[in-house]
Amino acid sequence: MNLEEFIRQNRSGFEEEGPRPDVWAVLEKQLPKPKQEKGRVVLMMAKHWWKAAILVALIVNAGLLLKYMNTRQEVAVVIPEIKEMESYYSARIEQKLEVLKQLPVAETGLDSLTMKELELRNDTYTMLEKELAANPGNERIRAAMIRYYQMKLELLEKILDEHDKYTNDSPSTKKDVL
Amino acid sequence: MENLPVTDQIVARCRMGDARAFHDLYHAYSRAMYNICLRMTGHQADAEDVLQEAFVQIFKNLDNLASDSSLTAWVKRIVVNHCLSYLRKKKVHFEEVEDQEWKQEDGVDESEHTLTVAAVKDAIGQLPAGYRTVLNLYIFEDYSHREIAGLLGITESTVKTQYMRAKEKVRQIVKLKSKTI
Repeated sequence: MNLEEFIRQNRSGFEEEGPRPDVWAVLEKQLPKPKQEKGRVVLMMAKHWWKAAILVALIVNAGLLLKYMNTRQEVAVVIPEIKEMESYYSARIEQKLEVLKQLPVAETGLDSLTMKELELRNDTYTMLEKELAANPGNERIRAAMIRYYQMKLELLEKILDEHDKYTNDSPSTKKDVL
Repeated sequence: MENLPVTDQIVARCRMGDARAFHDLYHAYSRAMYNICLRMTGHQADAEDVLQEAFVQIFKNLDNLASDSSLTAWVKRIVVNHCLSYLRKKKVHFEEVEDQEWKQEDGVDESEHTLTVAAVKDAIGQLPAGYRTVLNLYIFEDYSHREIAGLLGITESTVKTQYMRAKEKVRQIVKLKSKTI
């Protein structure tokens, strides 16, 4: 038997145990910094920038509503159509929200904070309801609330449309996601 | 080494900076790569230093690994290159020799000596660094003479000559040792 054959046949005998644990301890301190979160956020912001923009608009709108409420300009005229509109929009919004909740987060690109803001019955909505109950005739509050419903519904429809378009256009995309 | 449980998913997670994935990748390869370093440097502390430097580079450059490349081959190449850098820093020269010095040495049988793992290991450890490098790369790491020539920047015939001399030296050391026992 020559040297090569001997070594190849007794290969395991030439193997030592691994390095001491200190090596990993030192390496651990030099690991590249995680880029997952930053990368995802940037990617998500780039991909869903319009959602972020509308979210900001919703928040600004909520701020305006609060300002309207503070002025407390009472309008004694009650418009019955507005009540119907409220019911119409809130039903549609709830329906769209239910659909959206069924979709995986990875597909919609909506984090929990955004989802909370999309919920109809969030803090702003509850506050508005209280104010309206106290001032049922305030037309400006009602008008602002309707705008709030409309924006919310438009946003939800847009998200669902984009999602449908995305899943129909690239059916293989889902497979690529690890 | 090819059956290491390192999946594409671990590599993907490493690329995202997942500390757990780096840990898994390191533990999948550390023993095999440490053995390369130990054979090439001949010292535990140096082997660990080289291993550590190599892994820092591996972790930093995972983005450069092509998806169709073998991770094992890529990791090994980086580790071997670090070992060679270490040897160059230690002023180990891989000198050229005349082409005619190399002779094919087929059919040499070492069975006349008592080959034991311990004796061979000890003999390899006593080789000059240049010989030891060539012998290790050829026998243990399965590089061809041509590949070794490329790695060391010398001619293929020089590699063959140094390899034959290394083997001869091992043979002599083992023989001497078996006589003294």
